[in-house]
Amino acid sequence: MEEVTVYSSASCPWCSKTKSYLKDKGIVFSEKNVSEDSAAAQEMIELTGQRSVPVIKKGGQYVVGFDPERLENMLQ
Amino acid sequence: MTYDLIIIGAGPSGMTAGVFAARKGLKTLIISKDLGGQVNWTTDIENYMGFQEIDGQALMEKFENQVKDLHLEEKLTAVTSLQKAGDLFKVRTEKEEEYTAKAVIVSSGKKPKTLNVPGEVEFRNKGVSYCATCDGPLFRNIPVAVVGGGNSAVKSALDLANYASEIHLISDNGLTADSLIVERLNQLDKVKKYLGHKIVEIKGDKSVAQVVLEEIKTKQRFGLNIQGVFVEIGLDPNHEFLEKLVEKNEANEIKIDCLCRTNVPGLYAAGDVTSVPEKQIIVAAGEGAKAALKVWEYLLKAPNTGVVH
Repeated sequence: MEEVTVYSSASCPWCSKTKSYLKDKGIVFSEKNVSEDSAAAQEMIELTGQRSVPVIKKGGQYVVGFDPERLENMLQ
Repeated sequence: MTYDLIIIGAGPSGMTAGVFAARKGLKTLIISKDLGGQVNWTTDIENYMGFQEIDGQALMEKFENQVKDLHLEEKLTAVTSLQKAGDLFKVRTEKEEEYTAKAVIVSSGKKPKTLNVPGEVEFRNKGVSYCATCDGPLFRNIPVAVVGGGNSAVKSALDLANYASEIHLISDNGLTADSLIVERLNQLDKVKKYLGHKIVEIKGDKSVAQVVLEEIKTKQRFGLNIQGVFVEIGLDPNHEFLEKLVEKNEANEIKIDCLCRTNVPGLYAAGDVTSVPEKQIIVAAGEGAKAALKVWEYLLKAPNTGVVH
């Protein structure tokens, strides 16, 4: 299975919601905190063209925001 | 099947209403696009009794657990229409399902107001943001605009000052934020204020590159090169699905009396979506409890509906 990455920021309520959702589903993911890591912020903007967190990336696909339905489709 | 009660929205008022309705033995369905509503956006809460300090999502998880313990039926979807048919209410959802109930509590809260200008939808998440604390770190060393003059706008500007190279604060009015935080803002060299101005358009290619401002007095327009627009202009009630079914006040909130009744018999409302003053979690929760108890009384007295056991 392709690796799942969550781009998050420190004080973003929907980022924590997303992470607990993934944990509940038993999905292994790595996290990149754009508040602490400006390179990760730049990487996220370049990869997705988005300036909003959370972004959940799997391979070439990504979902912006906490959207359980779209996450489920992507992670299947 | 006909429910005794359908609760639309599951923030503090809706979930509290659910718990009170379940304890009264009402056959209840909660329909909401999320659990927790606006509280999910709140970080440190220091004025909800019983908790000296608690995070918004943590508090809502406690609410959720209490709802789940009572085995209330929940559907996670948005309501698209609510209509009265005789003594019953028909609720339709985004998933094209239809549910029927004898009474309804609308507790659908509020959502951030949008600017309604060209470019806002197109560039959402591509420079247009409604959460400075979330998205601020993605605007390092670039110029941004903040729209609004209240506390949330000024707080956002202060927050963004940690990241952005310039902050252009745009308010159609003056600054209504607390003087304490306005003073902090005034000390920052990178903040420029445009009071008495409004945004008329957001432009860009793949992401935001410019906003067009208009000075309200002179109608003079000019462009401002920025790469982010943070919209902090207050909140709007979520009740599009009601259309003209109920009366609203001048703030477009659902008008209720002190028993949480709207002008439509059997239709109750609670929390931030209503005309009740003070939009606080504790107030919303209390209103939800009251609405559910009043629905129970209504169903006991209603000649054609009654509570089915």
